[in-house]
Amino acid sequence: MKIDPKKCTNCGTCQPYCTVGAIAESGEGEVREVVEDECVECGVCLRADVCPVEAIYQQDLAWPRRVRQEFSNPLIRHPSTNIGGRGTEEMKTNDVTGRFQPGFAGVGLELGRPSIGTRFGDVQTMAQALASLGVQFEPQNPVTALMIDKRKGLLDPQILDEKALSAIIEFIIPLEKLEAVLGKIKEIAPKLKTVVTLDLISRVAEDGSIPTVAIAEGAGFTLRPNTKTNVGLGRPSK
Amino acid sequence: MTHTLHRRGEEKSLKEDYIMLVMPAQGFNMEGSEEKLRKVFEIISHYKVVNFGNARNGNSHRTTLDRLIKADNRIAHAVFQDRENLLGCLRELKEKDLGISVVISGLYGSVVQCCQSLGLKPHTVEHSLGTRGAVEKLPRAGVMEIITMCGHAMVSPNLVESLVEEVRANKRTVEEASLELSRLCDCGIFNPPRAAKLMGKLL
Repeated sequence: MKIDPKKCTNCGTCQPYCTVGAIAESGEGEVREVVEDECVECGVCLRADVCPVEAIYQQDLAWPRRVRQEFSNPLIRHPSTNIGGRGTEEMKTNDVTGRFQPGFAGVGLELGRPSIGTRFGDVQTMAQALASLGVQFEPQNPVTALMIDKRKGLLDPQILDEKALSAIIEFIIPLEKLEAVLGKIKEIAPKLKTVVTLDLISRVAEDGSIPTVAIAEGAGFTLRPNTKTNVGLGRPSK
Repeated sequence: MTHTLHRRGEEKSLKEDYIMLVMPAQGFNMEGSEEKLRKVFEIISHYKVVNFGNARNGNSHRTTLDRLIKADNRIAHAVFQDRENLLGCLRELKEKDLGISVVISGLYGSVVQCCQSLGLKPHTVEHSLGTRGAVEKLPRAGVMEIITMCGHAMVSPNLVESLVEEVRANKRTVEEASLELSRLCDCGIFNPPRAAKLMGKLL
């Protein structure tokens, strides 16, 4: 995103709207400007439509900078998933797709959210650590689509310094591997320059129990009381 | 993934925050789902909701339920402030048997009670295990409770702080400030009345 210095009146109205605090006064203090390396191209400052002189504009984005917009602006469809947002349908349609089966856990790690943002170098650090445990990354996920070596969790080197509002690593593992994976996440998260928000998907057993709960608690995680629950009303039409 | 999952706050506050998400699955039941999603929005219009919409067609600040009932949608969101309206809407969706996946984000115990009263068995559950890493960079807890109501993080913590100052200076009410935040959440999953209450605590 850019601010046209010829139009900007330095009123500062746009500044608090920036999701990552990347709008600042210019060196001379005469106008507001977007700090290019920090901007994640989410588009909020433009869509908020608060600039009284319409000085904010979206410049053409070439690769690799374009990856910022693809991961940060939910109105942009990911080329790899054909859906907006940063992830997949995951458990939202599991009653139809059967993607997550009993005996398995779905794991999602969202780096950068909320409001911190993440460099893809940090995403790679976490992906490499998980790959060392034999994790197979979700093939339809946008981060996986950027991997040049899925077995090692290596991303396209061109994007490692690019910054996004968040990026999600997704995979499915057998329940017996979950404890080790959660332990690895605990080990790696403090080494990152950003935050990692973690979620865990499970089928509900016939008796109403959720097999992942005891494993997560045993690994030292506290589960929040609010969840996402697929209530089972979907079915395939084929 | 997860854009309605990681809402923070005390259980008392989360009791006023249930998000319904209805969507077809690509490659399974997407074909012909447009008419079903119009029906979903029609059903939603029978109940008291505090926000609705989707990224394609806009949230309650940019569109209306009447328009969504006529639009092409790929997903439907609605935010309920109470369990009674959520339960009524879920009951009607079950009766209409549209065959599209329905996901409810909210306190698990309350959602299970709704399901049980309708004879539904939860199929799949997603838990939030919280946030780790450089948590010292996160905004203060009261601000986090507000900004996590937009799962795509379109609501800036600096804007929350700035609006709190405006409310303090009597330039806006908390209700007006919460609507300013809500309009930035393109998917329509932000809960403005809850945000107004939470902002009141920051004053």
